[in-house]
Amino acid sequence: MARFDDKLAAHQRELAAAHKTSSSRGGITRRGFLIGSVAGSTMLAFGVSGAALAAGADGKGSASETLSAGAFEPTMWYAIATDGTVTVHITKSEMGQHVATSLARLVVEELEADWDSVKVDYVDSAPKWGYMITGGSWSVHQSYQPLSQAGAAGRIALIEAGAQQMGVAVESCKARKGRVISGDQSLSYGEIVAAGLERSFSEEELAAIELKPASERRVLGTRGNALDVPPKTNGQAVYGIDYTLPAEIEARVGKTLHARPVMPPSRFGCKVTAVDDSEARKVIGYRQTIELKDPSGICQGWLAVIADNFSAAMRATDLLKVEWSKGDSYQVDETAIQAEGQRLVSSPSRDNGSLLVDQGDPAPLLENATTTVESTFTTSSVLHFTLEPANALAYEEDGHWHIHCGNQQQSLLTSLVTKALELEEGKVTHHQLYLGGGFGRRLHGDYAVPAALASKAVGRPVKMIFTRPDDSRFDCVRSPSVQRLRSGLDAEGRVVASEHAAAAGWPTAALMPAFMAEAIEGGGKLDSFSISGADHWYNVGTQRVWAQQNKVAHEAFVPGYLRSVAPGWTLWAVEQHIDELALAAEQDPAEFRLALLDAEGRNAGKAPVSTGGAERLRNVLKRVMEKSGWSERDSLPADTGMGVALSFGQERSMPTWVACVARVKVDRATGEVKLEKLTSVVDAGTLAHPDGAMAQLEGSLLWGVSMAMHEGTEYREGGPVAQNLGAYQPLRMHQVPQMDLEFVDSTEMPVGLGEPGTTVVAPAIANAIQHAVGVRLRDLPMRPAALKAALSEA
Amino acid sequence: MANFTLNGKAVSLEVDPQTPLLWVLREHLGLTGTKFGCGIAQCGACTVHLNGTAARTCVLPVLAAEGGDIVTIEGLAENDDHPLQQAWVEEQVPQCGYCQSGQIMQAADFLKNTPDPTDEQVTAAMAGNLCRCMAYVRIHRAVKRAATIANERATSQVSGQQTDATAATAGVGTFDPRATAGTVSHSAVEETSHGKV
Ligand code: FES
Ligand code: FES
Repeated sequence: MARFDDKLAAHQRELAAAHKTSSSRGGITRRGFLIGSVAGSTMLAFGVSGAALAAGADGKGSASETLSAGAFEPTMWYAIATDGTVTVHITKSEMGQHVATSLARLVVEELEADWDSVKVDYVDSAPKWGYMITGGSWSVHQSYQPLSQAGAAGRIALIEAGAQQMGVAVESCKARKGRVISGDQSLSYGEIVAAGLERSFSEEELAAIELKPASERRVLGTRGNALDVPPKTNGQAVYGIDYTLPAEIEARVGKTLHARPVMPPSRFGCKVTAVDDSEARKVIGYRQTIELKDPSGICQGWLAVIADNFSAAMRATDLLKVEWSKGDSYQVDETAIQAEGQRLVSSPSRDNGSLLVDQGDPAPLLENATTTVESTFTTSSVLHFTLEPANALAYEEDGHWHIHCGNQQQSLLTSLVTKALELEEGKVTHHQLYLGGGFGRRLHGDYAVPAALASKAVGRPVKMIFTRPDDSRFDCVRSPSVQRLRSGLDAEGRVVASEHAAAAGWPTAALMPAFMAEAIEGGGKLDSFSISGADHWYNVGTQRVWAQQNKVAHEAFVPGYLRSVAPGWTLWAVEQHIDELALAAEQDPAEFRLALLDAEGRNAGKAPVSTGGAERLRNVLKRVMEKSGWSERDSLPADTGMGVALSFGQERSMPTWVACVARVKVDRATGEVKLEKLTSVVDAGTLAHPDGAMAQLEGSLLWGVSMAMHEGTEYREGGPVAQNLGAYQPLRMHQVPQMDLEFVDSTEMPVGLGEPGTTVVAPAIANAIQHAVGVRLRDLPMRPAALKAALSEA
Repeated sequence: MANFTLNGKAVSLEVDPQTPLLWVLREHLGLTGTKFGCGIAQCGACTVHLNGTAARTCVLPVLAAEGGDIVTIEGLAENDDHPLQQAWVEEQVPQCGYCQSGQIMQAADFLKNTPDPTDEQVTAAMAGNLCRCMAYVRIHRAVKRAATIANERATSQVSGQQTDATAATAGVGTFDPRATAGTVSHSAVEETSHGKV
């Protein structure tokens, strides 16, 4: 099945090939691994180049010469200095998941380095790194094999060189904590590289390296601190919003000016008709207001207020009077979007999307079913609300543009800036900083565009900061969605057929259309990020799943990727629908799920990534039943209920197995729901950094709670109605439930952890509410008023 | 001209008196540890101490701090070793970290006045500080831990011992914000394993 990640891999290959053809060496492209001295330290690097073979296997020229000549472009690398410091270069964004720690752990495990000697470095964007993106909970999973191999190759080379220096046999040596040891002799890695280390591995040699067995692991799966924590406790961590240009750069390119965007009444089609800055001029430090002309179309009808500092720009903007002719998108509100969604799911077609799953036509089976269950679910717009608002610093020097900000998809950001400034390829570099939250918001690079346009207009570096309402108005929100599910049961209560249609704005269509994929041969393109989760691991007989693009949503806003993306809505529907079916079959919803998880056929799983398949989902479900006291479910106090939901993360091609039980108490008079407890069990394979994994689980589950009960807004009059904390109210500490969480002890392939927890919570709560008071809520978020109304109808 | 004491040093600078203190700190004085989140005193990211009390600087004109004594995250402890900072590392609290200066400054004010807090008191004191990464479990745990560290330091016992709570975060985590002190249960887990229960 061609999915987004396959597209990404193909894109990576294209990039690699393009990179190759531009290289002077020509010849066949091979991925090799080179070790040699560069500028005083030893570099250990993968590269896309014929140079690896030329230098090593064929014995022409040393690895050091090749590396120093720059003929070998590393795609992933680390370095060992003569003092033993191991610096791992990180192409991923640090946004709270401690990704650098996890990736460095992969290297250190196989390298047998001393953790205390490890440093990380977040690299600037460059074509040699391949397509730069941090999302999808992919980082550890995708880096596991290459970084482990890189570590192992380094260890082999260090042991060989160490043995030679000590005059002992290689077989007598082992490596531990940054030393090569033979009997009572030993050499530190620093000492070995100081004497010079040369080695190259062909692709075949690399592939032949066996990784350590799990029983030999000393780093992965063990407790340890994250490298980015200390600077985040003393104010030293530098985020995009904190960055200032060093004096030496300003001496060359001019002093930085500060800006706040002035955003039009709606996203598309607005034009400025009048500007009056007479009041704004009274603010000390105010300079001017400029109109932003954006050939890329991201900023339509935007202005920027320029000042000596942001505080002045912020206050001057408040005093600015601007008139616009409003674009059509001003009229498109959430009601219209959802009406279109209803229309799409009632008669899904290829005109508006494609099939994700097609195992034949469920219709005849549904007609003959003993019982059919049909229901419609909706979710409303959700804001990313990263606590660090959007910002970017942009400047030009000698025809090259530099963008400083935290971002999750450098490759997209640099291409957007290239387009907006009408530059040739290769004239934009992104410089990474800590991200004050990502959650998919910073997968878009749109916020760098107005900063770059403003800098171009004033001819000086410009740092632009969005205030909170600016940030909310410009957010690529999680699209509202509508879904319809219909399934049939036979006389024994077995599911015989199921159809599911989901309509939403499609983030990939909006942000990166080239990545749209064909899910089914001849089925047409779809955005897997609008429908994944609907291709679940339950055996529901003949299954058909439609993804429909709600184009009305695209008229109002740019749909974005928000933590977990589609499963945020697909599981809201699927996991409640399964409960509805269990009720119709008069079975316990957890036992009913166990029966549907037969792990047969396409649900059997495939090594190495989804080894065990649905069996592993059964396993976490059984464990969460034990832990949560599921067997006591029918003897809970009045108006108290327990509900269960499962998730497999985002994609079948990288499943994280999650089970969650919610216990709630409902106040019938007010419709208030008290979430008493969440119990969750997760199988994510090997945990590269267990403490970080637990932090992600804690945070993602609470995100789930927040979106289930506290967040959500709607689009109206050109923007989200809630734009700041007065109206938009993410979860606070006093709303945190009791939590009991556990990871399955596993040595399987590591999978993703940043997102999976977010999606199980809402359906688990809805199922628990149904259990408590017999009423089902099908619209997310769940508000007390809706429950109260439903209770009075019941 | 604005005059105040900042992290123990006298400061005077020429600035529009209406400028919120947050931006004076960040832009004029280069102290960027104090963050901008909401601008309406609702998230707590911009919290500093003004005359010994936690204050939201995004809505505080520098004029209102005239002659005051201001402490920011950068000046909380000489070697960044305030009990809260130690506890924040022990409990591995920060995710993105953006809210954490504000969380720590808020907690520092709270613990000064409430050295032996109950779980409910911690929750009530911290409820005004948004953590968008939802690291609340650990913020709560670390405030309690900091109270212990401070008390240990006061009685000059050995500090910095890892607690059960710290170990528990490796593979199994339990959290109960409403449990009374001493009744929070932490499942034991091997330091080097990630799933044994
Ligand atoms: S920025 Fe001051 S409270 Fe949010
Ligand atoms: S750690 Fe990210 S906002 Fe709190």
